[in-house]
Amino acid sequence: MGVIVGPRVIDAGLSVVTVFLAPLAVAAGYPSPAQDYFEGRIDLNEHLIKDVTSTFIVRVVGQSMEQAGISDGDELIVNRAREPKDGSVVVAVLDGELTIKRLRITPTGVVLQADNPRFPDIHVPALSELTIWGVAERCLHHV
Amino acid sequence: MSKPAVMRRMQEIAHVDVNCFYASAERAFNPALEGKPVIVLSNNDGCAVTRSPEAKRLGIGLGDPWFKLRPRAREWGLVALSSNYELYGDISSRVMELLGRYSAWLEVYSIDEAFLGVKGEPDQLLELGREMKAACRRHVGVPVCVGIAPTKTLAKLCNKWAKNNPSFNGVCRWESVPVEQREALMAKLSVIEIWGVATRLTKRLNAIGIFTIADLVRADPVAIRDKFSIVMMRTVLELQGTPCIPVEEERIGRDQLIFSRSFSTPITTTAGLRQVMSVYAQMASARLAKHDLQAKVLTAFAGTSHFNPNEKSFPSTCVVLPMPTADPVILTKAAHALLPRVFEGVKYVRAGIMVTDLRPSGNQKPLEIFGNPHEERGIGILLEDVAKRYGRGSIGLGHAGIRGGPDWTMKRDMLSPRYTTHWDELPLVKAA
Repeated sequence: MGVIVGPRVIDAGLSVVTVFLAPLAVAAGYPSPAQDYFEGRIDLNEHLIKDVTSTFIVRVVGQSMEQAGISDGDELIVNRAREPKDGSVVVAVLDGELTIKRLRITPTGVVLQADNPRFPDIHVPALSELTIWGVAERCLHHV
Repeated sequence: MSKPAVMRRMQEIAHVDVNCFYASAERAFNPALEGKPVIVLSNNDGCAVTRSPEAKRLGIGLGDPWFKLRPRAREWGLVALSSNYELYGDISSRVMELLGRYSAWLEVYSIDEAFLGVKGEPDQLLELGREMKAACRRHVGVPVCVGIAPTKTLAKLCNKWAKNNPSFNGVCRWESVPVEQREALMAKLSVIEIWGVATRLTKRLNAIGIFTIADLVRADPVAIRDKFSIVMMRTVLELQGTPCIPVEEERIGRDQLIFSRSFSTPITTTAGLRQVMSVYAQMASARLAKHDLQAKVLTAFAGTSHFNPNEKSFPSTCVVLPMPTADPVILTKAAHALLPRVFEGVKYVRAGIMVTDLRPSGNQKPLEIFGNPHEERGIGILLEDVAKRYGRGSIGLGHAGIRGGPDWTMKRDMLSPRYTTHWDELPLVKAA
């Protein structure tokens, strides 16, 4: 629930890299709105979701990210607003499907990897040729 | 403000709306729909209410009935979807919350459009428009267009230009368009393209020689008032650059109902907002009942004033009702879902609610809790016997007993998952 706009990016025209100040910093001005209602009791939304406007929950199908602790059937908290970096676990659009991969940004190009080596890497010349749907921030792993 | 005099800080109005909203909301979670012709159908899968540009290019018209399109859907590769109001309501509320971060004030105008106050130098305003467009795409996943102008009517017009002229790249600011280009664009558009001018008025305007927007801009507002109405005069004044359309407090659209207003004295307590929300919910309830409608989705929102740039808060929340209803108690409870998201002590000057996913009363499933006792008394069997002998629709319980057949549940055969409001229907991501 960010309430104040962060630094403005000068050319926001076509790129999708507008960066907002993390709403956590915004909260400094006011007490958390939840305080009046959930006195003392932990509200997971408050702790696990940084920006409710841009955060979505998705469910994993498949085993390719097991090594990252992300198993078949787990739920992921995905923030669309977060800028993907080298090493981010991202949801990328591949052949019209939402796919979870680890993003590697190297001097020679961009690679989408599965953490399980049985699955082949996908090489892309530049980040701009990829549609990154969002960046995974938490995994709700079933134990 | 110790700005040099050469800088012109403008206060203008931006109109933002989502491009073919329902189809775009679907695409945000199903990228396979990108580039394909997509239509979203009205209640009961009746007719096309939203068409993607690809569907428009196929010649599909707004309101074309699905039964006529269906035989050719396969050949066209057309994807038809039932309306998923829970998804649209949630995406709408995210878009509004996001836009609130950019604006001095925000007026939610419908499920997919808002007016907002923007301040800055001319270049900054255009830049702000581009930022809002990029942010909606990135944060929420939907494409929007932005029109920026001194008045609401012109902002709407600029938005239309932004949508229809690729050279604007989705953002058009009135003052930034060269005068000659504006005139040429206005001379090309019929008066019916102006916000608030209906078909009936178009005919009357044509009768006095006013055909295009350019003709109307040149008209004398007073003469227009005498021949038409004060509303029409306002439109002319707005086109000439004088803002004069008041905030509408109650709006009834094709598929939504909105109540919102600004307060003369800011509300600073949750208790105060609770009261406001209750009043709106009851107004919505009365209005729904009057039109014999029920709603399934409710969005509640509030906002701060632009006089306090350090105190910006635009909470918005979307609630899925347990069943379609016009019940004031249920609607009130739903509207109160906003309260945990408002900040105690912050001065809110505007609040509102919007109900969507409207349907005629009596079209809903009866409450299960009421279902059982009747069955115990054998009424179910009796009904079945009568129905067998005299046909379906010959008998029913309460509202469901109206003639019109057994169609008492909404037909939504092509409903996409309710990705953001149901834990069992989350978007799936492939790990392979």
